[in-house]
Amino acid sequence: MATLTSGRKTVLRRELEAIVGPGGVLSDPDELLVYESDGLTLFRALADFVVFPTSAEHVAEVVRLAAREGLPFVARGAGTGLSGGCLPAEGGLVISMMRLNRVLAVDYENQLAVVEPGLVNLHLSWTVGPKGYYYAPDPSSQQACTLGGNIANNSGGPHTLKYGVTTNHVLGLEVVMPDGEIVWLGGRTRETPGYDLAGVFVGSEGTFGIATKIVVRILKKPQAVKTVLAVFDQVDQASGAVSAIIARGLVPAAVEMIDQLTIQAVEDAFGCGYPRDAAAALLVELDGLRVGMDAQAERIVQACRDAGAREVRTARDEAERALLWKGRKSAFGAYGRVSPAYMVMDGVIPRTKLPYVLRRVNEIVAAHGLRVGNVFHAGDGNLHPNILYDPRAPGAEARVVAAGAEIMKVCAEVGGSISGEHGIGLEKADFMPFIFSAADLAVMQRLKNAFNPTGLCNPGKVFPTKKSCVEVGPVAYKPHVIEEKGLAQRF
Amino acid sequence: MQDALLERLRAVIGPANVLTGVELSPYVVDGRTPEAAVFPGALEEVAAVIALCGAADVPVVPWGGGTAASVGMPAARPGVVLGLRRLARLVEHEPGDLTVTAEAGVTIAELQAALGGRGQWLSLDPADAERATLGGVLAANAAGPRRHLYGTARDLLIGVTVVTADAAVVKGGGKVVKNVAGYDLPKLFIGSYGTLGVIVEANLKLRPVPDDERLVALRFERLKDAAAAVRALLASDLIPNAVELLDPTAAAAIVTGAAGGTPGLGTTLAGVHPAAQAAVTAAATLVVGFDGLPEQVEWQCAELTRLAASHGGRDATPLPRAVWPRLAAGARPAFPVATAVMTFGVLPAQVAELMEQGAGVARARGLQTAWTAHAGVGVVNAALVSDGEPREPGPVAAVLSEWREMARAGGGHATLEWAPLAVKSQVPVWGDPGAAGRIMQRIKAQLDPKGILNPGRFVAGI
Repeated sequence: MATLTSGRKTVLRRELEAIVGPGGVLSDPDELLVYESDGLTLFRALADFVVFPTSAEHVAEVVRLAAREGLPFVARGAGTGLSGGCLPAEGGLVISMMRLNRVLAVDYENQLAVVEPGLVNLHLSWTVGPKGYYYAPDPSSQQACTLGGNIANNSGGPHTLKYGVTTNHVLGLEVVMPDGEIVWLGGRTRETPGYDLAGVFVGSEGTFGIATKIVVRILKKPQAVKTVLAVFDQVDQASGAVSAIIARGLVPAAVEMIDQLTIQAVEDAFGCGYPRDAAAALLVELDGLRVGMDAQAERIVQACRDAGAREVRTARDEAERALLWKGRKSAFGAYGRVSPAYMVMDGVIPRTKLPYVLRRVNEIVAAHGLRVGNVFHAGDGNLHPNILYDPRAPGAEARVVAAGAEIMKVCAEVGGSISGEHGIGLEKADFMPFIFSAADLAVMQRLKNAFNPTGLCNPGKVFPTKKSCVEVGPVAYKPHVIEEKGLAQRF
Repeated sequence: MQDALLERLRAVIGPANVLTGVELSPYVVDGRTPEAAVFPGALEEVAAVIALCGAADVPVVPWGGGTAASVGMPAARPGVVLGLRRLARLVEHEPGDLTVTAEAGVTIAELQAALGGRGQWLSLDPADAERATLGGVLAANAAGPRRHLYGTARDLLIGVTVVTADAAVVKGGGKVVKNVAGYDLPKLFIGSYGTLGVIVEANLKLRPVPDDERLVALRFERLKDAAAAVRALLASDLIPNAVELLDPTAAAAIVTGAAGGTPGLGTTLAGVHPAAQAAVTAAATLVVGFDGLPEQVEWQCAELTRLAASHGGRDATPLPRAVWPRLAAGARPAFPVATAVMTFGVLPAQVAELMEQGAGVARARGLQTAWTAHAGVGVVNAALVSDGEPREPGPVAAVLSEWREMARAGGGHATLEWAPLAVKSQVPVWGDPGAAGRIMQRIKAQLDPKGILNPGRFVAGI
């Protein structure tokens, strides 16, 4: 792609400012740096402009400008993504949705809300909470991540075991198509005519267009919640307990697993009450009616005991429950106690394959001379091995990337998937052939062509590059400018 | 039809699996007889049939149990029915994974029986479970009352194998319950009515069979009271798995199993559960389902009775199990021969008004109607019948157009689910998809550029 001359850049900047206002365009290299990567700092790219529209019409005008100029563009939310999905191509536009962050309407009677894509996930639950409602998908980054980003990645979270992921809660979307046309996909009602375009758009990683309004379902808060902690001396026992719970005819709201390394990091950092000598712990949450809650909890307790749990206890009150969840949700930060850096993996396997795959993960990481902490959505079979490493050690990053690829291969071999919630983005584009044939990818490409025929909308994502990842090899770590200045550190 | 194509089809899948001539009568839709009906016995044979038909430029009409065969417009030119009934294996069911893989031709009843034997079920309860096949239910996006709690195919389908128009075998999604790798192809094929590919295998999420389940019927003197009860129910702590609102005509047919408007009490209803008798004499019947532990079902039924009573709901009585499957069929069985059936998607709060005003519009033209609704999700079904002598399609078409306009005015949609061709040629089967229709046409052009798969049947001329 042609690099813009500085004269052309000045002209385009003025044109963009005419659309979004003078405070809505960044083009100084220092300012653009902030937008050169997402939560996966391995990949970086600089845009020519970062633009901050405040309406769908702004977005459409900016997109039309980009289309006219042949400039690639990508929408960006909070930048908490973990696969490089919102990185710009080298050059082009980043369209930040952060100023489109309003709750436009809440319809309690019909249990839906209409929101803008820059709205922070948790803020929606805050908005509808006082009336007894909430928005179910709860990614761990929900205090920062936006609903538009959730749409792009079809985000999950701990409670998706019972309630489903983002796509199960989206009724309709207003979308700016890659040619600048504003189109509604789905709507507020069910049974909209034709193909389920809203369903296809969710999880398309920003390659089909830019959502500017989102209609989501809001749910009544459950009457009662109960949280059970089961402690195991062997990881295999904890893995077995997951299927045992399901075999007893229960679908808990969440079943999360935390391994020993992670427990110790969490206890060092926060002291949440997990036993430090446990090989693994399961955090099981039930929600629903008050009636029958104790009986259901008893089934969970029995299933865990039968699977070999050495201790099973139920959170006595909300404070204890909150503390247990704090341990789970703060695990990523707690790794900072035990390692200067880590890389989070995301894979999915059939639940019954948990014991085997967790063993393989440990073997693979050990073979590369590294350590791994596991904290993940066991009930869904959604693994998050976090490979710990020291970026200053020569070759460490290459070993992490190699181990990650091997783990993804194991997930694929047991009939699983290479991503449960973080997306393919740039990171896993070359892993796609692990689970999809050329014919599968060809249909996906044709679907993309129907939405995004020029390819200018978020190019380079999802599909494998011509070169395989093995030939390319991992990207060597180089500290970011803001890391060198001591302003930020990598996790 | 070229004899050469027939010969090739027989060579590939065996002469016994290629039907022609009088054997085709079960596959006549809208008075149109297909050129042939073929029943491949393996994935490769499905691909071969599509390749052969594609090369000969003969349309392919995928066929499961035929329960939704008349939905949509008939193909512009005669085609070959591609039946999936020989692809009906339950491929894999691992209870600990709470997932199943099955071929498209298995009927819903067969699948549920196999899963139920191991304490699990597919939480999808479409009509005609004995005939409807898994592939057909996915292609038509069919669902029943329990969609209120458990959603529709889009919430359950985690992976799909299709044969595309260029005879490629394509997989989307996977076998795991959470998966964001690649585009969500399963969503693309749900409700696509065989226009983008032939579904040959599906992977689905399952649920444990609940310990207990009950469906309770309540009667109301006024439809709007029943609607108020629904509002209160949805705002309560209760977790119903079904919320069905029925007008008296539909209620009579559903609880008695007999079509034909209000039955003669005492004869038709003899031996029927007392709840059923009560229901048919009310202005509106509300049926609410609960599942879970026995104490949860018990408590919720008691709460429901209390909550409904404050809105005039009376005579809460459990419905016998034999009645349950009939709720999925909607309003059509209310009449021996319905003239037209329309399905609406509206906001839940608009359901009762649509039912009341819709019935009024038809009555004004001397037409009888029956109405059912999955009231909690805003999906309404109406059957329309000409009173006495068959008429010109004129008044029927006029009512259907008014109905669609009523739904559209409230931001909803209507699909003409069933009607004679004469009516379908006057009233579009599908609602207007708006600007999204152009994206749909582009998708069709990308996946089936020659228009081999069910051409002309679907929305926007697809």
